[in-house]
Amino acid sequence: MEDYKFLFKVVLVGNAGVGKTCLVRRFTQGLFPPGQGATIGVDFMIKTVEVDGEKVKLQIWDTAGQERFRSITQSYYRSAHALILVYDISCQPTFDCLPDWLREIEEYANNKVLRILVGNKTDREDREIPRHIGEDFAQRHGMYFLETSAKEAENVERLFMEIAVELMEQAKCKELPKYDGSLGPINGKTTSVGDSSCCLRS
Amino acid sequence: MSLSLLLEKYDVSTDEGLQKALNEIEKEETEVDEALSGVLSRASLLEGRLRTASQAYTKLTEVKTDAQVAADMVDRTANLARDVSAKVRQLDLARSRVAECQRRVHDLIDLQLCSAGVEAAIKAHDYEIGAAHVSRFLGMDPGSVAAARARGAPDPRDAMTRAANTLREHLIRKFEEASRKEDEPSVDRLFRLFPQIGRAEEGVELLAKYLTTQTEAAIRRACIITDVGSEACVFADAITRVVEAAGAAIERARNAHLVSQAYGLLTTTIRILQPSVCAGVRRVYNELVAARRLESDPQRTAMSPLSVEPVLTELALIHSRIWLYFMFLRRKTEVDANQVNETEKKLCMEKVEKIIADCDLMRTAQDILGHYLTLERYFLEESVNKALKMATPQVGVTTSSLVDDVFFIARKVIRRAVSSGSVDGACAVLNDVCGALEQHAARALRRWLRAPPLEPLALAPPRDPGAPPDAAGDFARSLNRDLDAQRLLYLAHMNEAEAGAEWAERLATEACAAAGGLARGQAERDKLVSCAGGLASAAAAFRAAHDLALGALAQAVQPRLGAWAHRLADPHPHTEEMEDDADALPQALEQFTETARAQISARSVDTLLLAALTEIATRAEAAILHNKYDREGGLGVERRARRLAGWAGGSVPAARERCARLTQAAALLALELPAHARDALLPTPRLAAPHAKDILARRTDFKMEEIKRLKL
Repeated sequence: MEDYKFLFKVVLVGNAGVGKTCLVRRFTQGLFPPGQGATIGVDFMIKTVEVDGEKVKLQIWDTAGQERFRSITQSYYRSAHALILVYDISCQPTFDCLPDWLREIEEYANNKVLRILVGNKTDREDREIPRHIGEDFAQRHGMYFLETSAKEAENVERLFMEIAVELMEQAKCKELPKYDGSLGPINGKTTSVGDSSCCLRS
Repeated sequence: MSLSLLLEKYDVSTDEGLQKALNEIEKEETEVDEALSGVLSRASLLEGRLRTASQAYTKLTEVKTDAQVAADMVDRTANLARDVSAKVRQLDLARSRVAECQRRVHDLIDLQLCSAGVEAAIKAHDYEIGAAHVSRFLGMDPGSVAAARARGAPDPRDAMTRAANTLREHLIRKFEEASRKEDEPSVDRLFRLFPQIGRAEEGVELLAKYLTTQTEAAIRRACIITDVGSEACVFADAITRVVEAAGAAIERARNAHLVSQAYGLLTTTIRILQPSVCAGVRRVYNELVAARRLESDPQRTAMSPLSVEPVLTELALIHSRIWLYFMFLRRKTEVDANQVNETEKKLCMEKVEKIIADCDLMRTAQDILGHYLTLERYFLEESVNKALKMATPQVGVTTSSLVDDVFFIARKVIRRAVSSGSVDGACAVLNDVCGALEQHAARALRRWLRAPPLEPLALAPPRDPGAPPDAAGDFARSLNRDLDAQRLLYLAHMNEAEAGAEWAERLATEACAAAGGLARGQAERDKLVSCAGGLASAAAAFRAAHDLALGALAQAVQPRLGAWAHRLADPHPHTEEMEDDADALPQALEQFTETARAQISARSVDTLLLAALTEIATRAEAAILHNKYDREGGLGVERRARRLAGWAGGSVPAARERCARLTQAAALLALELPAHARDALLPTPRLAAPHAKDILARRTDFKMEEIKRLKL
């Protein structure tokens, strides 16, 4: 038996090439694989982190962004405890697709799932989406917001750690009901995860 | 002994002493004489020995001289041997130089012959001879050629290379001619010559192109589907034919490579052949999408789950066939690369993986899997919904096959996904199955079980012994058949929820075992296990529904349990019907148990009975504290409690402890004297002393002071 107290499923979604796999590998393996190929179907990695002295196992599902894998990736939404929606700050189309992704999340995911919007690739010079636009979008749709760079390892650790902290808080507030799959109530909560200047809660 | 010692030892002043000393001296003299004669007798022996020694010495001197001579001889021989081996070495060197010279001379002669021979062979269309010449040239020691050049001869390689190139051009032309004419024997014959002229890869490419042309024709024939509307797997058959044609071509190429020992080059053939296979499959796929209306949303086209099934089977079959083809490519490449070294083998495997990953066939397979999963999800949801509709509580229906139906569907769907050969597909279907079980089936059961009918499992009420049987009530109940049906259905659903939990767990194990074979590597296996683990939450959902029903059953008997508890603690005994009175509760419980056992699982019955007995005992104990008893009344309570405990001991072992406590309380009530209380609490007191005293205080005939004085 592995030694951990909580197990959370975190699913990353978003257009192809926004850096989902790089975020996962940066977090789980501490490396940035240059020339990372497109993910086929779904990959999954595990990392155990410690929050308040308790072991939390994060099961991270890294999905393929391409359209033809949609029916595979959709099946993973339902059991997710947290969904990370990723876009590329230097690529407007990846941001424009966010409403489509949200529709998909609405349709397949649990409506109380923890949702985080992540603008990746802050290391790039050619930014197309200003930070406040992303922030506004996240706020409008009741999501947390964070900008990251998998290449520079910026905010990656923090992203996953804050998810672990938040999920654990929820789990402690109300033990995750086992039968209806719903998460603890998060709508009533007003505390933001970590630094409130960065993570917004609508 | 010296004289001084003698003088010390013996007293010489006396005659006796002198005599003794003299005797001693005489004895010593005799000993000396004997010793002297002994020495004299050995003198001759010593002389003899001395003589022998001097003779031996003379002989040794002779031997020394001989040895010196021998040593000199050995030295000389050694020097001689050294000289000989140096000579041999020189000879050896000379011989090898001669051999090399000879080889070079041969090479040079051959070189001349070769270039002339190749020309002649080309002219005579005898390419075998020509290729043999080139092969000979390629096998030559480069030193020979260099040596020839060093002597100032014109570079013989130029002529040879020219000749070889001419031969190569001829061979290519001839090969192309033969392939145009589909002259198989010539193709094979010519292909074998390429490795000889050091152009194995070129030959492999030519053969691959030839095979591709041939396979393309086969693929074109394979793609023809006559009966597009047929429900049979016509598209799967067509795709199977396409990949089989490709497989045959690869096998044919591999055999040709084996004969001409061109190893590790199968990936070249695959690379050239693959686009045609991709195009062929894509063509069939496009027809399939149009014919089976795969692009349209199944919900909108309102296809029935029944009509979707053949399509699903076909899609899974197609995917598995493509997967098998990929496996075939990997296996054949590995077998082919077994002949080359490890580094090259690794390179070959990487090449084939790259071809597989990048080819359009892989994308087609992914598209097919996508369609399959969309349709499978639709089938699953529709079928489960249908099963739910059939199982919805209806008037007069007393059985339900919801769980059977749902798990039959789940199993079928998982098996089909496994048959597609894709781990991702199996994982996605497992996820969907978990969702359907948890959110549809278990949730529906939970919804139904939340609203129990009146008294799903009835416990007979305590009856006044004097009162007549409740004939009117029984008659009314017998008329209410609807209620009976509702009860039966409720219990059926409850059993289903329990079975659902077990089934979900079994399904997870089954799925892992069935899909485990598909996984390539630990990561894929982990993925499968994790997705199958989702069924545990479905199991928990069923269990929660079952617990809900169990709670409802326990809740429903609560009032009757209360009534029985009051009857148990009744202080006014029915003296005439003593036996019946004491047995009434065990009888009612026995009847309840029998009915329950017929309807729900033994484990549920046990849980229910334990809860019921605990409830009765607790309530009865509380009721006792509210009543007042005389000895007679106390004895009645004691009798009833004892009978209850006796029944519980046989039927509900788990409740024995709880009943023992009640029996002790009742025993206290039935005492003749308060002083006997200590005995009543034997062997193990289950009641705290103050509590026991409170119970004793309920006896009207016991004195308070006496009770207070008691040491318990």
